[in-house]
Amino acid sequence: MGLKEIIEHHVLDHIWSRLAFGPLSLPISKHLLMMGIASLILLVVFPLLIRSRSAALAPFRAMVEVIFLFIRDEIVLPNLGPKGAPYMGYFATLFFFILVVNLIGLVPYGATATGNLAVTGGLALISFIVINFTGMKEQGVLGYFAHLVPKGVPVWLYPILFPIEVLGLFIKAVALCIRLFANMLGGHIVILSFISFIFIFGSLGAAVGFAVAPVSVLLVLFMMCLELFVAFLQAYIFVFLTAIFTGMAMHPH
Amino acid sequence: MEALIRPELGLTFWTVVCFLLLVLLLSKTAWRPLLQAVEERERALKHDRQAAETARADAEKARAELDARLAQLKAEIQGRMDEARAAAEREKDLIIDEARKSAAVIVESSRREIEAQKAEAARDLKNKVAELSVLAAEHILMKQLDHRANSDLSSKYLAELEKERPDLKLGA
Repeated sequence: MGLKEIIEHHVLDHIWSRLAFGPLSLPISKHLLMMGIASLILLVVFPLLIRSRSAALAPFRAMVEVIFLFIRDEIVLPNLGPKGAPYMGYFATLFFFILVVNLIGLVPYGATATGNLAVTGGLALISFIVINFTGMKEQGVLGYFAHLVPKGVPVWLYPILFPIEVLGLFIKAVALCIRLFANMLGGHIVILSFISFIFIFGSLGAAVGFAVAPVSVLLVLFMMCLELFVAFLQAYIFVFLTAIFTGMAMHPH
Repeated sequence: MEALIRPELGLTFWTVVCFLLLVLLLSKTAWRPLLQAVEERERALKHDRQAAETARADAEKARAELDARLAQLKAEIQGRMDEARAAAEREKDLIIDEARKSAAVIVESSRREIEAQKAEAARDLKNKVAELSVLAAEHILMKQLDHRANSDLSSKYLAELEKERPDLKLGA
């Protein structure tokens, strides 16, 4: 089995069966299972944690609370203004969903569903809808498109800028999708490569392989710590950028 | 590897459904209670702070009142003490004056008494001396009164008298 197969085996989705649902054929796959586990954790653990009054769980409750308040006070309200409060459910769920899915990818036997373009594409699609929906709701459909081109631009530039801005709407969403996907995938590929070093050098001689192993393991350990950080960071960035784009769509000035 | 960048549309559908369900359910079961708890705590904090501030303001007011009362009381005590001191001073002066006056009276009456007594004593003494001298003279005279001496004396006296006043010479 070559390096390519190993990496593909670990980062690609495994489709076990398919369900026909109208024109779509819905896969039952490993990444779907991971998303299901993440959803189950969010649906069971979070409500219980938040409602619990036990002192032992208080630190975890405080952690969730601090993150929630951070998203509210530092990300959503500064960007969306006071009208952002109704969207808190979306932003908080987005952050914790991405975070939990990212973290499940670091657990043994887990797979990173956010390292799948289809999953991040789904999330970016919802972001795209939210961004444009809030913009249209706030300014009206015509007003939204009228304000798409920034103020103070000469009239003759409008025919050029308008398509660019419309394209920009899609590019923003696609960038969201690819950023998360690439970040989650990259770390895993690097980890797999470091592990593979052991066997690549091992093919030169068992002793060389054994000599390389500690270095590899140390590097992998370092990468795992980095991945842990990136799991939080990417969840934050996704939410942060979505909030910024939503804010820009709501308040064009 | 191109499978990596070939999105599986079915999974996108699953993601959207899964995520939207999560948003709906978590908004109800998690975020709302969390927000309620946070708001309740913030409200409690605000309430506590307000209560504390009110209590502090009350305490300050009470202290200011007490201070004012204390100052007033002090002033009053000072006034009363001054008054009392002045009254005592007056009383003292009065008493001393009276004492001085009565002492003067006593001294005066004593002097007068002494004078009177002295005068009486002097009178008595004079009387007694006079009497005594009369008696003594009487005694002396009684003792010295003998005939010969008297006649010598009288003749001597007469002679002298005659010498001085020859006109009165009885014989030659």
